[in-house]
Amino acid sequence: MSDYVVTMEHVTKTFPGVKALDDVQLHLLPGRVMALLGENGAGKSTLMKILSGVYTRDSGDITIFGQKIEGDLNTKQAQALGVAIIHQELNMCQHLTVAANMFLGREITKGGRLDNAEMNRQAVEQLAKLGIHDLDPEESVGNLTVGRQQMVEIAKALLINAKVLVMDEPSSSLSNAEIVEMFRIVRELKAMGTAIVYISHRLQELHHIVDDVTIMRDGKYITEGKFEDFTMDQIIANMVGHEVKNQFPRETVPKGKKILEVKHLNAGKMVKDVSFEVFEGEVLGFSGLVGAGRTETMRAIFGADRKDGGEILLDGKPLEITNPGSSIRHGVVLAPEDRKKEGLCTKLTIRDNIALPNLDIITAGSLTGKINRKIENEMIEKGKSSLTIKMSGADAEAGSLSGGNQQKVVVAKWLARQSRVIIFDEPTRGIDVAAKVEIYDIINELKKHGVGVIIVSSELPEVMGISDRIIVMCNGRITGEVDPRHTSEEEIMTYATQFGDHAAAS
Amino acid sequence: MENKKRSFLSKPGVASVLTAFIGVIVLMVIFAMMNPNFIKRNNLMSLARSICPYLLVGIGQGIVCITGNIDLSIGSVLGMSAMISATLVCNGMNVILAIIIDLIACLLVGLSNGVLVGKFKLPPFIGTLGTMTICRGIAQLVNNNYNTGDIGTGGLKDLFRDTFYYGRVGYVYYGVVICLIIWAIFWYLMSYTATGRHIYAIGSNVDAARLSGVDVFKTTTTAYVISAFCSFMAGLITMAAAGMGSMQAGMSYEMYGVAAAVIGGISTLGGSGLLVGVIAGASVWAILQNGLTLANVPVAMRNIIIGIIVVACVLFDIMRRSGMIGAKKKAA
Repeated sequence: MSDYVVTMEHVTKTFPGVKALDDVQLHLLPGRVMALLGENGAGKSTLMKILSGVYTRDSGDITIFGQKIEGDLNTKQAQALGVAIIHQELNMCQHLTVAANMFLGREITKGGRLDNAEMNRQAVEQLAKLGIHDLDPEESVGNLTVGRQQMVEIAKALLINAKVLVMDEPSSSLSNAEIVEMFRIVRELKAMGTAIVYISHRLQELHHIVDDVTIMRDGKYITEGKFEDFTMDQIIANMVGHEVKNQFPRETVPKGKKILEVKHLNAGKMVKDVSFEVFEGEVLGFSGLVGAGRTETMRAIFGADRKDGGEILLDGKPLEITNPGSSIRHGVVLAPEDRKKEGLCTKLTIRDNIALPNLDIITAGSLTGKINRKIENEMIEKGKSSLTIKMSGADAEAGSLSGGNQQKVVVAKWLARQSRVIIFDEPTRGIDVAAKVEIYDIINELKKHGVGVIIVSSELPEVMGISDRIIVMCNGRITGEVDPRHTSEEEIMTYATQFGDHAAAS
Repeated sequence: MENKKRSFLSKPGVASVLTAFIGVIVLMVIFAMMNPNFIKRNNLMSLARSICPYLLVGIGQGIVCITGNIDLSIGSVLGMSAMISATLVCNGMNVILAIIIDLIACLLVGLSNGVLVGKFKLPPFIGTLGTMTICRGIAQLVNNNYNTGDIGTGGLKDLFRDTFYYGRVGYVYYGVVICLIIWAIFWYLMSYTATGRHIYAIGSNVDAARLSGVDVFKTTTTAYVISAFCSFMAGLITMAAAGMGSMQAGMSYEMYGVAAAVIGGISTLGGSGLLVGVIAGASVWAILQNGLTLANVPVAMRNIIIGIIVVACVLFDIMRRSGMIGAKKKAA
């Protein structure tokens, strides 16, 4: 079988400390759509970056159109061989026109002068091949919908004679009508003999266009085959695997009274009519795929992003949260997803970081707003002893700590004031196993003190292991609520990929 | 939905350029009513000539702004240009040779800015702050920390003064003609060549441009070299006007360049703006200076008024931009 346009065999890639790809294979046929499936972090994007020359492989064989790639493959070579990639985040110059973007870097000139007429003509011609006849080549790309911008990127790829097209989550930001249009274009491409790699978390949509599947998990190749030979349950089972998961020390404490209630929250495009409640001594998990709107929901509650509608009640009383400051004063606090960027001032000391959101307390007694060292030291001692932060001293730079200890500093600053609800967004991302368990212990400790804890986590075993209740989100909406003791990863995945109109609430 | 024939007004940037030109007309009407001398032929002639340095630095700063960067060295390069040319001529060098040496020195500064920002990725604000200080130092150094004396008269020196400042054809000074020619050349470059398109592209989305094969370093450097060339020309005009080199020449002109560019609709955030707007922007600046003087507004008050107008223009630009983004999201 050497009909393959691309074969990748035994591909291995290691990043410092992580084996991102371990003996992975991929086979692409012309005129067929290959779905590349796996959970977040399974290695799909890494594999595609190797195919398009962004990353270099450590070992393994790559053959493109019968040509064996010796040594490193760079982006230029990959392009010349006909491999193009449509990134999830579209890469366009918003201010330039459709035609200018399509010809960027390879403009047609006549005597040193741009030949706009010719470029417009060819752009129209290329778009027509995709069945798009109503797009003005002189329109600024920034004025187009995301769906239309994606069409322009595809047309641009065809312009450089791409024979292998990688589409990374192309449907993630499209409306339903745009997805139908995109599928139509994918079929056009198939008819032209283009080999397509289609990465998507929307398993329900695959049957419209996909011919083959390759499934990956934890950087390893799991299986491949014809799409019709798999049931949806088999695909999900292959994606999530079946490891036992009990390194999560969930402690059950009696559920107290209701603390926080969110009613019909709307914010931007990613938070649509979200309602839920949190109780004292409860850990509420938020599961879903990356981009499901969980982080956006938490940021809106915390006042970091603008709310478009809805109500937030604390102890039954409506809260007016307009910015993080007001949220913090009411005891609703957030440990954000990106610790280094949003959780800590990494260039400041541990002391300064813990004191920063608590300066109102620390300077309370002073007319001039002077920092009261005594209160500050008490606060830091408290944090140190209850969290076992390993550090040379409170005056070390926060950035010098390990990931786990950084997270503890973030927690310490919220423990210093009587926080009622603590929201953790991906609390254990990039943290080693031992430190993870420490974070879980802290969460259990908070529970015992009657704090309401919300955890946003993309790791299914984690969210299932630590939560008392799990809310699943998809596409900005709550699509399900499950009891982690009586659910399966499969059930959660089903809710997490419920994109359609029948978003059944629980 | 999309109409086949695009109306002129719907083209990106045209609206803000038109707004700027309407602003020019409104200002002229106001000042003419305040003091009839404002529209006397002689005042209009010298007004046009006084626009020239602002127009030149506006072109340079405008092009650098379109790449998404900034050039703080403009004023110092202007001063350096004036001091180098004047010093060389005062020491008896042939005027043409002096101008050529001056040109090379100035272009080297532009090249350095391009290397610092485009190659070594210094933040443009810091990189060009450094060259700004260095160039002012050179302007002071060339004549041992003194302004030069008069460059003298006769032969090429008279021709020099006439060409850049005093001579005129009909009612238009040569300097104005030269500036318009320079403007036309760069307008062509920005609007009709691949280089121009790359300048817009890197200001709009530098990653997309790089992945499309655009040479970001070369493009950045081109913008800075153009900017240095414009400052060089403005330096010659300043020197011709004074007949001598002043170490303080061009003080704050990098900011006047920003003002001319921004009033003319060029965004300091990069990626958009039309060079034709700089003509309006530079005119607004010069008209305000000239008109407020004729209206007997004290210097301090003039500065305050001009400052408010610049901030208002930038605020308007930012609000317009965020409005545009909002419109796009709604459509998605």
